[in-house]
Amino acid sequence: MDAPDPSAAPDADPDPDAGVTADSPPAPGSDPIADVVDADTGEGELERTIGLTGGLAIGIGTMIGAGIFVFPGLAAENAGPAASLSFAIGAVVALLVALPTSELATAMPRSGGGYFFISRGLGTAPGAIVGLGLWLGLVFASAFYLVGLGSYAGQVFLEAGIALPVNPAVPLGVAFGVGLTVLSLFGTENTASLQNAIVVVLLIILTLFLSYGGLDALGVFGAERTPERFFPPGGLLPVLQTAALVFTSYLGFAQVATVAGDIKEPSRNLPLAMVASVLVVGVFYVATIFVATSAFGSARLGEFGETAMVEVAREFVGFPGAIAIVVAGLLATFSSANASILSASRAVYAVSRDDLIPTAASRLNLQYGTPHVALGLAGGPIVVLAATGQVELLAEVASFLHLVMYGLICVALIQLRREQPDWYAPSFRCPAGLAVAGAGALASFALIAFMQPASIGVGAAVMIASYGWYRYYAADVELKGDF
Amino acid sequence: MTDPRTPTDGGQPPTGDEQPATDDKQPATDDEQPPAGDEQPQTDRPTVLVPLEVLEGESLPAGTTELLANAHVVLLGYHVLPEQTATEQAREQFGETAMSKLGEFAGALEAVGATAETRLVFTHDKQTTVDRLIYEYDCLAVLVPNSAERVESVLVAVRGTVGVDRIARLVAGLFAGTEIAVTLYHVLGEGETDEDAETLLNGVRADLVERGMDADAVEILIEETETPVDAISGRGEAHDAVIMGETDPSVTTFVFGMPAEQVAERFLGPVLVVQRERPEATDASAE
Repeated sequence: MDAPDPSAAPDADPDPDAGVTADSPPAPGSDPIADVVDADTGEGELERTIGLTGGLAIGIGTMIGAGIFVFPGLAAENAGPAASLSFAIGAVVALLVALPTSELATAMPRSGGGYFFISRGLGTAPGAIVGLGLWLGLVFASAFYLVGLGSYAGQVFLEAGIALPVNPAVPLGVAFGVGLTVLSLFGTENTASLQNAIVVVLLIILTLFLSYGGLDALGVFGAERTPERFFPPGGLLPVLQTAALVFTSYLGFAQVATVAGDIKEPSRNLPLAMVASVLVVGVFYVATIFVATSAFGSARLGEFGETAMVEVAREFVGFPGAIAIVVAGLLATFSSANASILSASRAVYAVSRDDLIPTAASRLNLQYGTPHVALGLAGGPIVVLAATGQVELLAEVASFLHLVMYGLICVALIQLRREQPDWYAPSFRCPAGLAVAGAGALASFALIAFMQPASIGVGAAVMIASYGWYRYYAADVELKGDF
Repeated sequence: MTDPRTPTDGGQPPTGDEQPATDDKQPATDDEQPPAGDEQPQTDRPTVLVPLEVLEGESLPAGTTELLANAHVVLLGYHVLPEQTATEQAREQFGETAMSKLGEFAGALEAVGATAETRLVFTHDKQTTVDRLIYEYDCLAVLVPNSAERVESVLVAVRGTVGVDRIARLVAGLFAGTEIAVTLYHVLGEGETDEDAETLLNGVRADLVERGMDADAVEILIEETETPVDAISGRGEAHDAVIMGETDPSVTTFVFGMPAEQVAERFLGPVLVVQRERPEATDASAE
């Protein structure tokens, strides 16, 4: 028997028997999809080095920064204790998208994530809008995280009793933005193990803090607190608006798909890492809001702004608690910002590989092995946006651009399930695929409707500009079903 | 992994082989059954992995072709990328250049009679890649690629009876029928007498002779020392290459590095590290 030539299977071969997962020769620790993607096409093969833990760390590490350390104050101000419901809504939307994303990722475990699925499943035009939109969406998200990081760094000065004439959040955020970009240009080693360690430390601090705070809120330690009215005066509307705002806290799960090309045994680890990281952070978010709104009234919490959690910790455990949360906040926003900058540069690579933007954008620097142009295209605008300091606008535009992508990912799943092209052989099939994807698409697009008009305007402008660029530069590129 | 093709004799095309298949020179049964060293035909070419960081300008060091003329060489070109860079991205940009370089090196090896296969891997972690390929090809040894002006005599460090069969297979496979002389070297352990060591090394010599080596070309050297790594590197200076066994990872090796790496750093010549018997790879993939 002759083994099928792996390099020919995905595109050229119309014979369904020679499909993607057909009897390719098994290798030690083999994964049918990984084998096909990594197979040597005469230009070398690719080693997969990220395991399940690494995938989880990427997902959790990217997400946990915003939801816990930046949003509680803002969210509680808008929606009161029902802000925990807003976070729960976000988690449900994220799960509805994570399942179809997992299926697509196991069918196309290539770097590029959502952009790759949409351009291959739906065609070049939606692909271009999402690809360029993803780059800018990550740019907005990174800028948002950087302002959060700046707020926590500013808090360090406050805790140390140093009075500053201006609010240091924005200048510090900009400085971190420049620093992180430069750092990533020179090829940081062991970022993965650092990321893993940060996530473990964060989860420990948060678990301790939330268990203590949760017990206290339930009245275990004496002083029972007066529960506030759960729903805000406006009823459900502010809750949904807040859900749209805080959805930025869930953007990280799709980041796991952008490194799909590096993940070992992708058919098992990709779905697990995505779904599990959404569940883990969702639980932490809901618990955090519950604890935070029990400690203070929502209005008071809103006054504390981005660093509200520091005051919550101070209320419960005093100065050491405040310090622990400042440290955790620094770590969390730092890892979110760093992960987003790197993802933004990968997004640039993904579109330039497909000739949607000049290929020069993805050149690698041989000495450092890093894509210096792409990192510049990510880092430059991030620093500019961070300088605006518009936390809510940045967060919402980031969510807007991601939600468009998530909605289209679900549409792509429906489309591919209908068309059943030869190359489409996912090893993970989303249960009740069409229903979940349909609900995911509807929920994603619906969430956009609850954003502020300004955010919708900026987001729509980015999409129109992306489409215009596609018509101008890449109208003749055909990507549908192209591998 | 099963190779569906029939064994061939000539050198393989340096780059044309896209199948990550096992060595064509291995007997076909080797793939289905756990290989038992003593059943290997004595003419079997030992498989040696040669990892080269091609894009960093690392080339086939001088002397390698002489040392490995009788081997089946798995030439691994690798390039380590920082974690923020997609491996695909590097392959796209550097794949062709690296492949053509590897092809040149494979050609040089084949010109002296070795058989060679090339693999090019873009990775975030060198060790993962090297380990995977050792398994995949069931490599007898890995070369630490340092250069040697000429290869006339080789120091073979024998630690004990464990794995001695694999050392013998490698040494006889590489040097039987050549002009290269071999010195078997043993550092006395605690409570070990000269007689014990002589018995051990004479046993190895007998094995080598049985495998086709000339008895006159095999010498024996026994020494008592506290620091085997220093002793091996020091003795190595009188020779052109060193062959030694792999060490089990432990806290000491974690802190100071593997003895083989330490020897390679001090000795500065080529070091062949004989690999432990790996658990049968085909079992793991037979899910």
